[in-house]
Formats: sequence, structure tokens, C-alpha cells
Amino acid sequence: MSTYPGVTEHSEGRLLYRGAEADVVLGDWQGLEAVFKIRRPLTYRLQVLDEAIRRQRTVHEAEMIHLAKKAGVASPFLYNVDIQSSTLVMQFVRGVRVKDLVASLSDNQLDGAFFEFGQDVARLHRFGIMHGDLTTANVVKNDTRLVFIDFGLSIRTTRLEDHAVDLRLIKETLVGAHPDISAKALDALNRGYASVVGPARSLAVLKQLQNIERRGRYARVT
Amino acid sequence: MRRYILGVESTAHTFSVSVMSSDGNILSNTKSVYMPPEGSGIHPFEASQSHLAAAPKVVADALANSRVPMSELCAVAYAMGPGLGPCLRVGAVVARTIASSLEVPLVPVNHAVGHIELGCLLTGSKDPVVLLVSGGHTMILAYSAKRWRVLGESLDLTLGQLLDQFGRHHGLASPCGGAIEEAAAASSNYLRLPYSVKGNDVSFSGLLTTSKLLLDGGRSFSDVSYSIQETAFAMVAEVTERALAFTGKKEVMIVGGVAANRRLSGMLSNMVERHSAVVTMTPLEYSGDCGAQIAWTGWLAHTCGVQIPVPESKVLQSWRLDRVDIPWRN
Repeated sequence: MSTYPGVTEHSEGRLLYRGAEADVVLGDWQGLEAVFKIRRPLTYRLQVLDEAIRRQRTVHEAEMIHLAKKAGVASPFLYNVDIQSSTLVMQFVRGVRVKDLVASLSDNQLDGAFFEFGQDVARLHRFGIMHGDLTTANVVKNDTRLVFIDFGLSIRTTRLEDHAVDLRLIKETLVGAHPDISAKALDALNRGYASVVGPARSLAVLKQLQNIERRGRYARVT
Repeated sequence: MRRYILGVESTAHTFSVSVMSSDGNILSNTKSVYMPPEGSGIHPFEASQSHLAAAPKVVADALANSRVPMSELCAVAYAMGPGLGPCLRVGAVVARTIASSLEVPLVPVNHAVGHIELGCLLTGSKDPVVLLVSGGHTMILAYSAKRWRVLGESLDLTLGQLLDQFGRHHGLASPCGGAIEEAAAASSNYLRLPYSVKGNDVSFSGLLTTSKLLLDGGRSFSDVSYSIQETAFAMVAEVTERALAFTGKKEVMIVGGVAANRRLSGMLSNMVERHSAVVTMTPLEYSGDCGAQIAWTGWLAHTCGVQIPVPESKVLQSWRLDRVDIPWRN
């Protein structure tokens, strides 16, 4: 049992963000400023299903946050895992979400940011990690680098298909939510990605991405 | 002055014609629905023959019920796609014929955009996250910069296909959603099924395979129906919630044939509470395929000068809705 006293009290801090599956609360952990990621019960789901999903994702996310660092990608420091309340306690990363950043970037800065984004994704993939949730809301830019903050849907995998699914989600988010900069951002991202995994692997992943898009309904990939 | 438009829908099992006025009143909405034999899905050619046979009466009834003289129609809209080729062609022929004989513009409409725009008209939704769930689509969308943008979708089967293919495996005829909902209501025995959310997207193929295997292994249709609904709908609710959280919007609008399922709409109503958002739904009569979705979207397009010359008025079996320009929205 990994329940420490105090998780619940301290998690009554300021709500930073209400995500789809978790509340992100800023609070205090043993004197440290900390973020509490609390996967509260979702009552629209059947209880047995909901509990299994929350427990599995909480434990798994903790492992993945740790592994990302081994891969050379910045992630928050983890302070505590509380399975009972499916809560992770971790470092509060100061910075701006890429989602909120893109509109204010010059062409050069945009290119730099997404080149780095591509490099980091490639580092995860090279290490056998699929992030699983690569939207622009889940990456924070601090003073020096990008920090990946949400590993709730990450898995260990070296399959081409899984890595391509990762890139597909970035593409979907960019085209869907940032249509005006998506072409430039994707170009920079792909170059950054290729600079780490090499052109052959990068091409193979992009080809698989096309295959996935072709499987989609009514898709005509040209 | 009120002006009138006629819309023709024939993308799949439904052949439907509607006359609408420029102020958004549905003056008529007549339809004929092709019913496949038990254990089967839609046979495209058989469906098209059914549409062909029904077309004259459906058109005549739509005009008669609307009390609008044909000479007052200022445009004719048709579903150019996406859908089943033979079915689409029947609607296109009917629409071309009427437009040519009246010498009024022919307006091509994307069927899926039709679901959304009719939904916005009937629910009054202004800026929703749209959940489009039908036999042809499972997509989460929001409008931005002249397109309906896809924020999440199924990577393989649609929700309608999942339910239909499972139902047909049990010997039912498509559409099977109603029978599955009824069977599910009789069970509370949850069997664990694959829950596959990949970022903003879902995948139903593993869920379908496992469900069929459970049925073949002797589990009751009712238990598996219950489990398939609970799993698939929770996946859809989760990715819809992700889109809601990501965009910060305050409305979720459900459109498409599967919107009729009460468990699905119940889950979504529960989900939006955490975000102080609301769920709106197209009235059941218009949530499935109907002429009104084509007539109304055709009217919106017509006001922006969208039309297609008859010789070029082909049909598009594959026509993703995020490729359609939406000039009538800001």
C-alpha cells in the first residue's frame, strides 16, 4: 500500500486545469510546491471499468514519467503515487503550454520549437516509448526546453504502427486546432524527428502514418 | 420574402426529400427506408433499386406536403457524398432532373456537414463540440477557420458499424442499434472488453472481435450487448470529454443515427457536468438520415453562391467532411 497520509488534504489546493480524465491541482507536498494529478471517478463509466482504468493509468504514468528521463526527455519530478485515490504528486512545471504559445511565435521560433518537439518525440520512440497523447496542451516550454507533462496514455513499444499513431495525433491536433501554422510546424517536427532516428526510420514512420490515414473513413490520401 | 429549396438525401439506406424555407422551417420531410433481409447489411445495388422505385412518390409527397408549388423552388440540393455509389447516383439523378427542368441551381452538399448544420438549426447550438455518430461516421469536431475540424475520430470502424456488425453476427438485420440497446437494458453483467483510446481517437476493431468471440463462446446476447455499449460509449465519452477540455467550449451537440441511443446520450450528459457544459441533441425524427439535412445545408451553401453545373454533378463516395469549405460560417 502506497498511501501516505495527507494526500487528500493537500490536494485541496487551487484547481489549475480540469482535463478530460483528471483534475490538476496546485498544492503543497511536504513543503514543496506540487501538482496533484487526481483521476477522480468518472461516473458515466461503469464503476468496475472506471476503477480499473484509473488505477492502471496512474501506476503506468508514474513509470513512464520516470522512463522518459532515461530517454533524455524532460518530464516532471515525481513526489508520490497514491493508488487509493489514483493521484500522482509531482513537480509544478513553470512555463507555457505549446498550445498557448504558438500564436505568439515568429516563424523562426516556431521552427525551432517544433524541431525540438520532433527531436524529443524521436528520443522517446528510440527508447521504446509511445507517448500516446501528443497534443499541444501536453507539452510545456520553460526557460530552457520542452517538458512533457502527461504520460497517462503512454506505453512501451517499438512497433512502427504505434510510433506512427503518436505522430498522427500531433498532426490531427495541429491541423484541427492550429490550422494556420500546421504545415510549417509539421515540417519542422519531421526534420527534428529525422535528425534523431535517422532518415530511413523517419520515412518508414511517415509512410505508416499514411497507411493509418488511409484506413480512416472516407479518406483519400493523395 | 420567403424562398424555398428542395433537398434530396440518398447516401445509404434512406431515400428522403425535404422542402424547406429560407427561414429554416421544414415544410416537408418524406422518406423511404430500404430494409435488408435478416442477418444482412445494406446491399448497395438492392438499396439503390429500392430508392429508384420509391423516388417518384417520395418527391411527389414532399412537394404536396409542403404546399409549395414547384415553380417557387429557387434551388435543388443533393447529397453528393460520402456514401454508397449506387444509392448516391439515384439521388443525383432525381436532383439533376428537377433542377434542369426548373432551370434553377443545383447545390452539392456533404452528407455529414448536413447532419451538423441541421443539428445547429434545430438545437440552436452556436459553437458546439460536435459528436457525429452514425453508420458512416464517428467523429468529434469543432468549427474553426472555414472548416469543421476533426478533433478525434475512430481509427477503424464507426460506432454504427460496430453495433451493426455485432448485431448481424447474432442474425439481426441492419440497423441493429435499437435491438442492442433493448437487449443491453436487460443485463447488468459486465464482461471485460478491450478499451482502446489512442490519444483523441478510438479503435473498435478489437472490441468487435472479442464481442463476437464471447457470443460464440455461449455468453448471452444481452450480456455482450450490455458490455459492448458500456465499453464503446465510455470510450466515445472520454474522447469527447478530451475535445471539450481541450477547446474549452461549453456545448456538446450529438448528431447522427446513433444519437438515438439513450445510454450514449445519458453518458454524455453526465460527462459534461464536470465542465459546466450542456448537451444538445437533434430531435430523433431528424437525427438519422433525412432530406432536411441536405435542404438546409444546401440553402446555406446557396446563399454563398455554391452550385455545380449539371454536367459536372458527379457523386463522391469518399468525401471527408474536413475537406469541405464552409463559407457561410465566420
